[in-house]
Amino acid sequence: MATAQSAAAGDGAFLSLRGLRKVYTDFVAVENLHLDVPKGELIALLGPSGCGKTTTLRMIAGLASATAGHVMVGGRDITSAPPYDRDMGVVFQSYALFPHMTVAKNIAFGLQMRKVPRAEIDRRVAEAISLVRLNGMEERRPRELSGGQQQRVALARALVIRPSILLFDEPLSNLDAKLRDEMRTEIRDIQQRLGITAVFVTHDQSEALAMCDKVAVLNAGRLEQFGSPIELYEHPANPFVASFVGRVNRLPGTAAGTTVKVGAHDVILPKPMTGAVEVMVRPHRIALGGPSDTAPGANRVTGTISQVAYAGDLVQYGIDVGGTRWFVEQQTTAARPPEVPGTPVSLSWRVEDTLAFPAQG
Amino acid sequence: MEEARTSWPLKILVLLLFAFLLVPVLVVIPLSFSGENTLRFPPTSWSLRWYGAIFQNQRIMSGFRISATLATLVTILTLAITLPAAYVIVRLRTRGSEFLYNVFTAPLLLPTIVLGLAILIIFAPLGLLGTFTGIALGHLVLTVPYGIRVTATALAGLAVPVEEAAATLGARPLVVFTRITLPLIAPGLLSAAALSFLVSFDELVITLFLAGPRVSTLPFEMFRHLETRSDPLIAAIAVLMIALTLGAVMIVHRTVGLSKSFAGGR
Repeated sequence: MATAQSAAAGDGAFLSLRGLRKVYTDFVAVENLHLDVPKGELIALLGPSGCGKTTTLRMIAGLASATAGHVMVGGRDITSAPPYDRDMGVVFQSYALFPHMTVAKNIAFGLQMRKVPRAEIDRRVAEAISLVRLNGMEERRPRELSGGQQQRVALARALVIRPSILLFDEPLSNLDAKLRDEMRTEIRDIQQRLGITAVFVTHDQSEALAMCDKVAVLNAGRLEQFGSPIELYEHPANPFVASFVGRVNRLPGTAAGTTVKVGAHDVILPKPMTGAVEVMVRPHRIALGGPSDTAPGANRVTGTISQVAYAGDLVQYGIDVGGTRWFVEQQTTAARPPEVPGTPVSLSWRVEDTLAFPAQG
Repeated sequence: MEEARTSWPLKILVLLLFAFLLVPVLVVIPLSFSGENTLRFPPTSWSLRWYGAIFQNQRIMSGFRISATLATLVTILTLAITLPAAYVIVRLRTRGSEFLYNVFTAPLLLPTIVLGLAILIIFAPLGLLGTFTGIALGHLVLTVPYGIRVTATALAGLAVPVEEAAATLGARPLVVFTRITLPLIAPGLLSAAALSFLVSFDELVITLFLAGPRVSTLPFEMFRHLETRSDPLIAAIAVLMIALTLGAVMIVHRTVGLSKSFAGGR
């Protein structure tokens, strides 16, 4: 498979996963995973449920044992170290606060375990509390806090020990949409200010792209691609990444050189290919025009609008192009109402917005 | 305001059921204050003499001391057995977990008299009949199932990530157990303890098979007393036992809630 990352341990890597593998009795959760995380970066483990991302995180934290392979931090092999010796802060999906302790005691717990002097504990707990803006909540119990506040306590509790690595296991999935956006910005901001190395597990591609320096896309226990959000979105390594990160139209075709036959239309590719291919175009990169408009230097097909879904900021059209359904997204303006079903249109897009992969199977 | 309505026939039925369950118990209370020499209801004179008589009766007092010691010991042993067992069953989830749980709780399904007979047959050749150890072991057969149920329920209610979070913060397994697990399941352990104590303290059927001249419990002595005499002494003891039971139930109720701790399963 086309994994972007296969070079030996990157020089700048702080956290390295070397051939990590996890086998449960009846299935392989993670297969031969190599990953290098530079110091101070926030990277995402992104994939659908069951792809092995949480298992990977648990192996990094020492909460699950690796069947094979190594976890290295700062050049030290910690594969067999127990979780209490790993110096990692973990923010769990369920927050996992200690229900019988106050907010302050929750945050102080890790420092007590490290035998930090009392006065310093008090000072650092106070710092952490103001870092996550929970002033005045010190004596509350977790059950007296909202979901967002509990999330902040969990973050403060993980941060206060100044861990070498911060691990997030889908920390935002239990929050409502508005709070999620807020916490996203806040977590990213804190991570950058403290310059802490962090791994963020999520199934939400927009979360991964918006927050992280680099994203590792996992599928069925394997690494599909590891790269920056732009690399992933503009140069996906394979059809899985192309369709998991963002939306795409997927169209079968036959290529000869830089031209692909897609139905009755010729589509120009940015680089030459041969044989059966899958052509992919992102719905919002397609412009709609009149049926006879021409777009020089661009790909162009014609069709008829069959479905209109108006979502306020966007309108999504389903367009019948020679028997195939294409999706096109347009930004809405007050100046022009959406098109109506039955309207003949032309679809045009830039050649460099055309993705193509050898057909699978 | 619209309240949930219960039909009259149903209300009457529930009332009758409660009366059926509680009236015999409540009748004991006035009987215990009787001034007469026989168990007659209603009493024609009142006194506290039968409460005083309890403390004069050597057999009853000895039975009480033995029962209290026995119940305390059985409770401690029950917790010592059920806490690790429940931990293995709930947390490790090994292939035998389900089987173990069923084995531990199976005695609850058997008639006590069958258990008593079975224990008698096994204990007789071991020389455990009529011994304190024998009775304690017999009681454990009954208290361990309750203890497992309540402790397993408490453990299942504690989310695993809470313990994992403590571990990632630097707590070694023993520290995780004492600082996180134990405080969080303490209410469950308390109700397991209260239940074990009560089950052992008023157990009669198994004790009937195992007790002997040297060791005899309070319920056993009460039973013997009733066989020969029918004075209100028994009523006075019964009232004290009801008070003890209510006290224990109150403790459990205040700390965990009855339905939560006894509604079995995991």
